[in-house]
Amino acid sequence: MKDLNLMVAGPQGSGINFTSDTFAKVMAREGYYVFSNAELFSTIKGEHSYFRVRVNKDVVRSYSERVDILIPLDKSSIQLHLREVSRDGVIISEERVDDDRAEIVPYRDILQNVANKFNRPLSEFNVMKNTVALAAATKMIGLEEGKLKKVIEENFASRPKIAEMNNAIVDEVYSLFNPKRELNIEPTKPAKRMLINATQAVGMGKVEAGLRFQSYYPITPASDESNYLESVMGKYNFVVEQTEDEIAAINMAIAAANTGVRAATSTSGPGFSLMVEALSYAGMTETPVVIFYYQRAGPSTGMPTRHEQGDLLYSLSAGHGEFPRVVIAPGDTTEAFYDTIESFNIAERYQVPVIVLLDKAMAMSNNTVDLFDLSKVKIDRGKLILSETSSYLRYRFTDDGISPRSVPGVPGGLVTIAGDEHGEDGHIFTEDPDNRIKMMDKRMGKMERIKKEIDEEMKVKFFGRSDSRRVIVSWGSAKGPILDAMQSFNDLSFLQIRMMSPFPADEVLKYLKGKEIIAVEQNYSGQLAELIRQKTGLETNARIVKFNGRPIAYEELIEAFSAVPKKRRVVLTYA
Amino acid sequence: MLSSPVKPQNYKTDVEIDWCPGCGDFGILNALILALQELKIPNQNVVLTGGIGCSSKIPHYVNVNAFHSLHGRSLVHAEAVKIANPNLEVISAAGDGDALGIGSAHFVAAGRRNVDLTYMIFDNGVYGLTKGQASPTLPFGEMPKSLETENIKFPVNPIFLGLASGFTFVARSYSYNIKHLKETIIRAIKHRGLAMIDIMQPCVTYNNINTKEYYDGRLYDIEKEGWNPLAENENEYREKVGQAVIKSLEWGDRIPMGVFIEYKTETYDQKLKRLIPDYGVRNYVFDPIEKNGKPLQDITEMMQSFL
Repeated sequence: MKDLNLMVAGPQGSGINFTSDTFAKVMAREGYYVFSNAELFSTIKGEHSYFRVRVNKDVVRSYSERVDILIPLDKSSIQLHLREVSRDGVIISEERVDDDRAEIVPYRDILQNVANKFNRPLSEFNVMKNTVALAAATKMIGLEEGKLKKVIEENFASRPKIAEMNNAIVDEVYSLFNPKRELNIEPTKPAKRMLINATQAVGMGKVEAGLRFQSYYPITPASDESNYLESVMGKYNFVVEQTEDEIAAINMAIAAANTGVRAATSTSGPGFSLMVEALSYAGMTETPVVIFYYQRAGPSTGMPTRHEQGDLLYSLSAGHGEFPRVVIAPGDTTEAFYDTIESFNIAERYQVPVIVLLDKAMAMSNNTVDLFDLSKVKIDRGKLILSETSSYLRYRFTDDGISPRSVPGVPGGLVTIAGDEHGEDGHIFTEDPDNRIKMMDKRMGKMERIKKEIDEEMKVKFFGRSDSRRVIVSWGSAKGPILDAMQSFNDLSFLQIRMMSPFPADEVLKYLKGKEIIAVEQNYSGQLAELIRQKTGLETNARIVKFNGRPIAYEELIEAFSAVPKKRRVVLTYA
Repeated sequence: MLSSPVKPQNYKTDVEIDWCPGCGDFGILNALILALQELKIPNQNVVLTGGIGCSSKIPHYVNVNAFHSLHGRSLVHAEAVKIANPNLEVISAAGDGDALGIGSAHFVAAGRRNVDLTYMIFDNGVYGLTKGQASPTLPFGEMPKSLETENIKFPVNPIFLGLASGFTFVARSYSYNIKHLKETIIRAIKHRGLAMIDIMQPCVTYNNINTKEYYDGRLYDIEKEGWNPLAENENEYREKVGQAVIKSLEWGDRIPMGVFIEYKTETYDQKLKRLIPDYGVRNYVFDPIEKNGKPLQDITEMMQSFL
């Protein structure tokens, strides 16, 4: 069906996210697929922000350039977004707008009536203007008011009075507002789908994986995940520790992992930069720690609330010296859940640090996701020893290069861990050149082993016909808009690369050799394209890049797909 | 290849010690081993963390679990070990540069948590392993032979900073007074909460000012002069910590040692229990998270909350 796209725009702090989240929830409950996108400033109140919600009865995985319903919460929002409103769209406005798409809603009368009903001054209700607009929108779509009221009630479960006031507004809108026309939306069957973003998917994945220790220092857009975990740690029995800085966060996660619990930390670029010394330590000490790395627009402080995939090559090379690491890049919310669990399995099986690369777009896009299939979840703790042992050596040389891993408290299993080069016993007073070679071989040898043992699906996913001439190659959150845009073409296929280290060169060659290769990336230079060249010798024929801080809208990608590879570099600019 | 076979109740490894002959660190090692012997804590239940520097090699010499971490991060590793497994006895060793230079953010933050562990600061005024640069505790105007210029920075006062940061046990001892040091370590280990010992530890190679001879005539035991560091409640603590701060400022002909404050208050595990009712009930390490590869956590309710 044709999309229905809602945009709520206005000053930050005016209830924009409440409005869009409530709308998204109501539509998801109706059985529609929903994909939302949040664009906000690094400020608490005041600056112009806008949230979009795309609704369809078929799967949607990205946001659209088009706006069908604009809810401007201040005057400037109308001017800023008017040109995006589709020809048959609607502007739900308080004031007269010289545009026949405008539906004028008597905000003041509605709020005054509700204020009278509650015997309170009108000023107390001005903050609920967004509810007026929201109810006006759902009325135009023909949605039963009870469905909206139920979601509002749940949102304000802890403040029933506020729920009551908001719902009185809904009643008033449904009786007083008579729209000039209706917005038709194809009916669909109710479905049970979660409305979540990647921070929540990762959070659930961590709990299911048996996480016991998470450390973090507040940073956008990563801390939503830790805050979500804090909200459930009492029930699921694990610790979330807010540390004094990211250096403490990663060091604590490492020490907790070495104590024998599943441990992780979550951060973004600036925080990861502070963690790098310890990442190298984790490699040297063969510590199974997992770092969840939510990329945002850099360099430096950059645009903290905006999107970018600028840290791929950095995540692969950060850290002094050479050590094995695994880097996994989920492409959507569902993958974020399963990959989170697998990241702990890989970390413990191979005793290596694992980085899970995510980004702002995934962290802040709520979308409809089927319930996770928990019967598919497996936990593998590798060679962890939790009962008595003897003649124990933490870094014992073994045939597969992986040493049995004891932890403090195990009788006979005293552990010595050191970031200096060490012998099998972990003691550091050997800078013996032969030992050095054996230890380097032991650690670095894990990379080949991981490459060999990990399933293809964990490394790459291929979409479309294998005989198509043009192949898109991409990673991370670009997956959504690519799959949506591909539907307009029948000569395109798509290779999603999911494991960045160790790089699945064989699989990539299998799918890309002899093809016209088009890289799509949300960074300036095309970092994956560079990586593919380094690891396989294959050259991309064109690079479609976006680095204006906003995720990709699928329509701009359709345009770009038509232009490549004739055009070798396309810069996407939609905001 | 060197190895350290496990000898129960033997707290010394066979690892060859590479400190300079006469180094103050030997006294600390001996006092620590004597303390562990007296307390008879099973070796496998002790974790000793180190940072980087001469001091921080000590985990290799004590026959317990040894986490030799990064420069400045010994305390952070120790805190996380204790949080992950509160059944362990955790001791952290660090130099004065480790603790009060590169690791000072952790020092201050640790006071806010009050994790039940013992923090031993090997305080010699210089960075020995990099050939004797000034450390944060080197007194203003001093110029040990290893320095190119006199030290124009004011020193950090570890006792004052420990008190200000909210450490619930703050002490100073001396590596050449093994009896006092051993007793102080035992008291620190027994203390429920974050216990710090600032250990005067002459560096025989680089610091020719703050030597054994320097300290021998100056250090005096405040507890022998009638100071009672114990605070059983918040009111007592407020009163005593102020007096302890005044004592901590003394430096010169007389240098105070002994326990400055010993405050019985909520430890971090108790505070965590406010948020996580089952914290410490089930051991995070030894309580399984899977059975035959299937997870034991069930997130069905979490998923349903998003429907």
